[in-house]
Amino acid sequence: MNAPEFNLNEAIDHHLDGTLSPEDFTRLQDALLTDPAARSLLRQRSQMDATLRDWTLSLQPTPLAAWQASPKPPTPSSWFNRPIKTLLGTAAAITLAFLLWPQETSTPEATSSGVAMLSQTLDAEFAHSPLRSGDTITPRTIKLTKGLTQIEFFSGATALLEGAAELEIISSWEARCLSGRIRVHVPPAAKGFLIHAPGMKLEDLGTEFALNVKDNSSAVHVFEGEVIAHTDRASSSLKQGMTLGNTTTDFLPISELHDLLTQRQQRRFDAWQDWSQQARTDPRLIAYYTFKHSTDDRWDRLVNNFTEPRNPKHSGGAVGARWTEGRWPGKEALEFKRPGDRVRMNLEGIYSALTLSCWVKVDSVDKKYNSLLLTDGYDNGEPHWQIYEDGSLMFSIIYRPDGITRGGDWNQIYFSKPVFGPDSLGRWHHIAVSYDNQSGQVIQYFDGAEVSREVSKRHQAGRPITYGPCELGNWGLPTQGHPFPIRNLNGAIDEFAIYAAVLSGAEIQSIFENGHPK
Amino acid sequence: MPTSPTPETYEAFVRLFMAHEPRLRGFLRSLLPTWEDVDDVLQETSLIAWRKFSQFEPNSNFMAWIGTIARFEALRHCRTKARDRLVFNDDLLDLLADESLTETDLREREHQALRHCLDKLPADQARYLDLAYQPGVKFHEAAQLAGKSVAAFYKILQRLRTILQTCMTKELQHSNP
Repeated sequence: MNAPEFNLNEAIDHHLDGTLSPEDFTRLQDALLTDPAARSLLRQRSQMDATLRDWTLSLQPTPLAAWQASPKPPTPSSWFNRPIKTLLGTAAAITLAFLLWPQETSTPEATSSGVAMLSQTLDAEFAHSPLRSGDTITPRTIKLTKGLTQIEFFSGATALLEGAAELEIISSWEARCLSGRIRVHVPPAAKGFLIHAPGMKLEDLGTEFALNVKDNSSAVHVFEGEVIAHTDRASSSLKQGMTLGNTTTDFLPISELHDLLTQRQQRRFDAWQDWSQQARTDPRLIAYYTFKHSTDDRWDRLVNNFTEPRNPKHSGGAVGARWTEGRWPGKEALEFKRPGDRVRMNLEGIYSALTLSCWVKVDSVDKKYNSLLLTDGYDNGEPHWQIYEDGSLMFSIIYRPDGITRGGDWNQIYFSKPVFGPDSLGRWHHIAVSYDNQSGQVIQYFDGAEVSREVSKRHQAGRPITYGPCELGNWGLPTQGHPFPIRNLNGAIDEFAIYAAVLSGAEIQSIFENGHPK
Repeated sequence: MPTSPTPETYEAFVRLFMAHEPRLRGFLRSLLPTWEDVDDVLQETSLIAWRKFSQFEPNSNFMAWIGTIARFEALRHCRTKARDRLVFNDDLLDLLADESLTETDLREREHQALRHCLDKLPADQARYLDLAYQPGVKFHEAAQLAGKSVAAFYKILQRLRTILQTCMTKELQHSNP
């Protein structure tokens, strides 16, 4: 039945490679129909094909850090030229080589010359460049003109500074106070931390002390532990309750910053709650999640919809995502970290416009697409809102012509400029997008300000918007060609509103002002 | 679809699906002419399996259950494609699928053994495979990138596949006395 030159092995491989001629295909089919061993071989080679493809994919280098300029997809030739792991003979060496392998292909590690970070500020104003809490500080002089700020040195020492004050940060182990009131706490790990002041050098032996510097003279008071004060004349040990030097002002009390911070946060939280009570009655709302989890929910997974009047059908269910602190102490949020984390909702209805408004803390933009709100699958009229790998906001909606259910280039995608980068990661930000199906205009906002405005050339007026089963922070059942891609958000969400109308720029600005954490 | 799938159901489904995906891919690959077809059918299969997940009995054989769905979808897919492509006929597809579903454990062991063999492959040989199996790269393009004629590149790959096949057989003998 088979012509002599027909080779089953080769035919199977050609078939899997896509290089089999139609004639040989017929012969292969005949052979497979009659010979169980041939079928077994085909299945074995198919599994090998699948494994090899899987293995090839696993060799791909990790994507570039998210905030770097969006990389072009690697071309096949650059693949071929990249360094290849060396084979070293013994099994142990092979394992070692395999472990080392990813490093050869990765981009250089990010570095920082930071020595401290600004952990808290209260009404702080700085003379030169403005600093915000969370900023990393490189060696330099900080001039605080008013307010309070807390600086945490990477050695573990913490300094509270009251404006007006001037502090030169020399390293993570050393600083110089030029003027102002400062209070320093040094844990055992940072023993040896040095503070220079006019006329003295203070060497910390694990303690808490305060320093006042005015008109080039210094005074120090030890609250706890021991400090060695080196002056021109001598070195002396200062113990708890001892003071060196003269000062007319009190030393900086530690309670001040924390009490004031707590008070301010409470004020902001209260103000937002008042605003939120009003905002949730907006008849344009489809759903409004504030992530306040009810104590009587024994499963602890319910994400209530707080629109007034209530519509519990639009409540969500948290999967994986854990409860965490939101913008203020006492304000709850959901944290999305693991690939399965998500909130599932089902929003029925057909709409002609939308606004999505969200308070989010993005910890890292580490996937190609990072989910905000996505419908299951991607059918006509379903909006998808994500953060793209370059840190930009990405809104999209698809309308395929009648009769076409997949494929083709019908996607309307709208990108903002990149908004998530080192400056904005790890902090609470407000983002929003609006779209109406008449004008087709999509506007995206970051912290109340417009960051993109566009109409797709594929837009046609009047096509409906629907949600159905959808998710926050992940993508449910994806479409063809994307078998369960990993798109989970890496961060936390503490407020999400879905409106059936376009909110004006002024309204978005107002949401931002009323919800701003500080 | 269950009337109101709970998050827990969904998580359970995703877990099971991901655990069986490599075997499912190998299974579909034996039935379908191209990787594009495999991806299409796998996607359909996952959607249908999710809709019918309430019918799946917990702790029963998930591979057998989803394999039945995948098989049906592959057949359906082949019928719509049959006119313009090199697609196996229904009789053969039935035979292949029947036999496949009885030996998925063997395929899983082969998959593991092969991964082991690939780790031991010298770098200069591994890169030919890496090139040939990049998704979306056509055979002649891979040959060109390797700086070889199609025939020469094919010979290289055949030799590598034979090496892997031998290694895999040996691995299986050792791990499963």
